[in-house]
Amino acid sequence: MIYDCVIIGGGLAGLTCGIKCAKEGLHTVIISGGMNSLHFSSGSIDLAGYTEKGAIVKKPFEYIKDLIKSNKEHPYTKIGLSSIKKSIDFFIDELASDNIPLNNNGEYNHFRVTPLGAVKPTYLSQESVYSSKGKEIIKSKGKIAILNFKGFRDYYAEQTAANIKNHPIFQDIEITVGSISLPYYHKTEKNLHEFRSIDISRIFETEKYLPRIAEEIKRAAGDAVAISLPAFIGIKNYKSIRQKLEAMTGKFIYEIPTLPPSILGLRIDHALKDRFFSYGGEYIAGEKIVSGKINKNEVESISTLNEGRLSEIKSKYYVLATGSFFSGGLQSRLEGISETIFDLATNGTNPRNKWYSKNFFDKKSHPFLNFGVVTDKNLNAKTKEGKAIKNLLCAGAIIGGYNPIKEGCGGGVAIASAYKCAELIAKDLKK
Amino acid sequence: MIKLENISFDHCIKCTVCTMYCPVAQATHLFPGPKQSGPDAERLRIKNPELVDSSLKYCTNCKRCEIACPSNVKIAEIIQKAKWNYVKIHWFRPRDFFMSRTDLVGSITTIVSTITNFVVNLKITRAFMHIFLKIPFTRQFPPYAKGTFKKLYEKKISKTQRPFEKRVAFFHGCYINYNNHSLGQDLIRVMNAMGYGVDIVKEKCCGVPLIANGYIEKAKKNAKFNIAHLSKTETPIVSTSSSCSYALLHEYKEFLEMDNSGYISRLDYITKFIYDEFSRGNIPKMKPLGIRAAYHSPCHLERMGGVMYTLGVLKKIPGLELVILNSECCGIAGTYGFKNENYEISQAIGSALFKLIDNANPEFVITDCETCTMQIEMNTKYKVLHPVTLIAMALKE
Ligand SMILES: Cc1cc2nc3c(=O)[nH]c(=O)nc-3n(C[C@H](O)[C@H](O)[C@H](O)COP(=O)(O)OP(=O)(O)OC[C@H]3O[C@@H](n4cnc5c(N)ncnc54)[C@H](O)[C@@H]3O)c2cc1C
Ligand code: SF4
Ligand code: SF4
Repeated sequence: MIYDCVIIGGGLAGLTCGIKCAKEGLHTVIISGGMNSLHFSSGSIDLAGYTEKGAIVKKPFEYIKDLIKSNKEHPYTKIGLSSIKKSIDFFIDELASDNIPLNNNGEYNHFRVTPLGAVKPTYLSQESVYSSKGKEIIKSKGKIAILNFKGFRDYYAEQTAANIKNHPIFQDIEITVGSISLPYYHKTEKNLHEFRSIDISRIFETEKYLPRIAEEIKRAAGDAVAISLPAFIGIKNYKSIRQKLEAMTGKFIYEIPTLPPSILGLRIDHALKDRFFSYGGEYIAGEKIVSGKINKNEVESISTLNEGRLSEIKSKYYVLATGSFFSGGLQSRLEGISETIFDLATNGTNPRNKWYSKNFFDKKSHPFLNFGVVTDKNLNAKTKEGKAIKNLLCAGAIIGGYNPIKEGCGGGVAIASAYKCAELIAKDLKK
Repeated sequence: MIKLENISFDHCIKCTVCTMYCPVAQATHLFPGPKQSGPDAERLRIKNPELVDSSLKYCTNCKRCEIACPSNVKIAEIIQKAKWNYVKIHWFRPRDFFMSRTDLVGSITTIVSTITNFVVNLKITRAFMHIFLKIPFTRQFPPYAKGTFKKLYEKKISKTQRPFEKRVAFFHGCYINYNNHSLGQDLIRVMNAMGYGVDIVKEKCCGVPLIANGYIEKAKKNAKFNIAHLSKTETPIVSTSSSCSYALLHEYKEFLEMDNSGYISRLDYITKFIYDEFSRGNIPKMKPLGIRAAYHSPCHLERMGGVMYTLGVLKKIPGLELVILNSECCGIAGTYGFKNENYEISQAIGSALFKLIDNANPEFVITDCETCTMQIEMNTKYKVLHPVTLIAMALKE
């Protein structure tokens, strides 16, 4: 049995590619060994946050337009501006159909706050992170209360407050800090210290305690017009829970991601999977692809390993979306950097001491973040002999030649490259 | 001493992703979740086995944590080992004893199946079971068949299998042997249509219920017996139970630490075998079914990486409109949901799946696992079919 498209890796890139392929009517399967980096992310999509020199990008599409002219090796150049735009629209539409509306600031970037209170430019956010109403409140310098739940250990309201006060947009705004207690949760034997973001989000999801939580919020927030909570006010129902809490408290509610697991990221992951299923896609979790056969610059098959036995899987097209070092798409060994399934060409340089900067927070960032698979102009992976592999395309963090952190473009590259791969595959197979 | 191969707990990066996907942690706060009960607590248990705590009993061994973990930590395995290896249980537990002795109970009850089925469904019996055996009052038990599948095979089926040159050995398991002969007969029809004659070998219960209830020594005995007999065969071996397959392929080696290399390369869960045959062009003639069905993927089949083969096979059945349900645990977890203390948790876990099924509005539900089948049939209005049964329904006479 031969699939139209097998996608290796079910992260932001793999899922986006899968949705587009399945929607195009292709017989598509995603094979993913372990959960993806959305579970650790802000849940906002960074498109282009910083310039080469580290300045903040105001209008990301304009910036990308210039980048395409000057940097031939950047994945955005290979994808092209029109596909990048289409991919973002596509992504917004798909998530909106699963009740996770994403907002942007027109052609401008907006800011998101990290768990430790750093303020970063990004392009797409859930409405609890960016909305025109929130923008109004900041503009009119409304008072903000940053709240935490008593005993919750994965978020520090004081630190967030101290850090954001350093940022120009919050400078003349009054910020207070407060804490609220979680109403007694039935039958709990757990100490509140043991609760993680996921446990509390499930309590929210039941909607049982909302009126009592609203009372607590009102008490702790005083006369603040906006409050921020650690991001766990529900998973699937978060939109309506937020609306209810806003109605009960009469205050604007903002969410700041906690230390992992990130509920903002989880919402995106769940919504993408729902969309993929709704188009008839098959998602195989917990399976690792361990090897692939390449013959005459074409992938013949890939294999899984179970109980010491290899099983082959065949497809017309393969998309490599295995992520970077963190997710296991790339591996660093004493001898160098390698791609883990096909041993493809990478741009990882030797020697080892050139991979990183000694200063962890170096403004120039670390060279290893640029490492990835070498691709041709259509995102086809290249072998170590420099030959492009016809039916193997790359999407997301596995692609080399860009720095997702320094440039603030990880999410954008993942979505746009995934969409581009799907477009190319659908075009070829539907010929 | 720590064995060097058992230090997967040390690969844990403390990301808590496993706990996000644990159905039990989702249903109750009585269970601290895979991260805390697995890799976190293992560090302490290695130093002092006394630190084993009773909340481990809530883990259903569904393996969903292992599927989610980005660092390949064998979380469920760590928990199972801690559960039974550190605590030695000496007292007699009548309910767990009988529930896990599927062979013993099955061979007695199938002789008097009509009476058994009548008696276990009497209100008074149920009340007795609830109070003395701690089995939930509302649980329905799978009806027992008349006689065993093995007897049926020997008496009626074996002679019809002689003409076939190509052979497969069939590990039928307890469920087919004692409860559901017709699935066994479906398997034989499908294999025959694909040109294979079916043999059965001597077998004992695969040991899954024994392991789940802590009877490790007895499980090892059964494993030894099965390994010996399966290793003697020379043909491919198939099983229609995802849990039996998982035990024969994985648990014998990894959990019971026994050598199953004598047959492991020849044994497949049935849909993998059929998928490979279909891929080689050996597809039996089928007529369009005209059925809309929802597919539920059992936890252990997911852990084995078997779901894609089941879906591949189902998609080859003409006229089968398939709704693939978002992966959720049904909550029964073998014998787990049949116990009083777990009943509420088991139902709470399953509720998400039951809702999904209702929303899909199918004519049938399809799944690979016998206990999932029981749980879904009890909690929804749908009849549940095995993939093999669907192929059998589609076969041209
Ligand atoms: C911790 C972290 C936080 C980030 N936060 C943000 C953010 O807030 N905003 C933003 O825009 N960008 C962020 N990024 C950048 C990030 O790289 C991209 O946004 C994007 O999530 C990458 O998606 P991906 O699908 O390429 O890879 P991943 O999400 O890493 O997914 C790769 C998947 O492939 C699977 N896989 C790997 N090898 C195999 C194999 N052999 N067989 C089968 N499956 C395999 C993995 O299990 C994983 O599920 C973050 C990155 C990291 C690491
Ligand atoms: S095996 Fe299942 S029940 Fe047990 S810890 Fe893992 S996910 Fe939870
Ligand atoms: S998912 Fe794996 S790495 Fe993460 S906390 Fe659980 S066991 Fe540790």
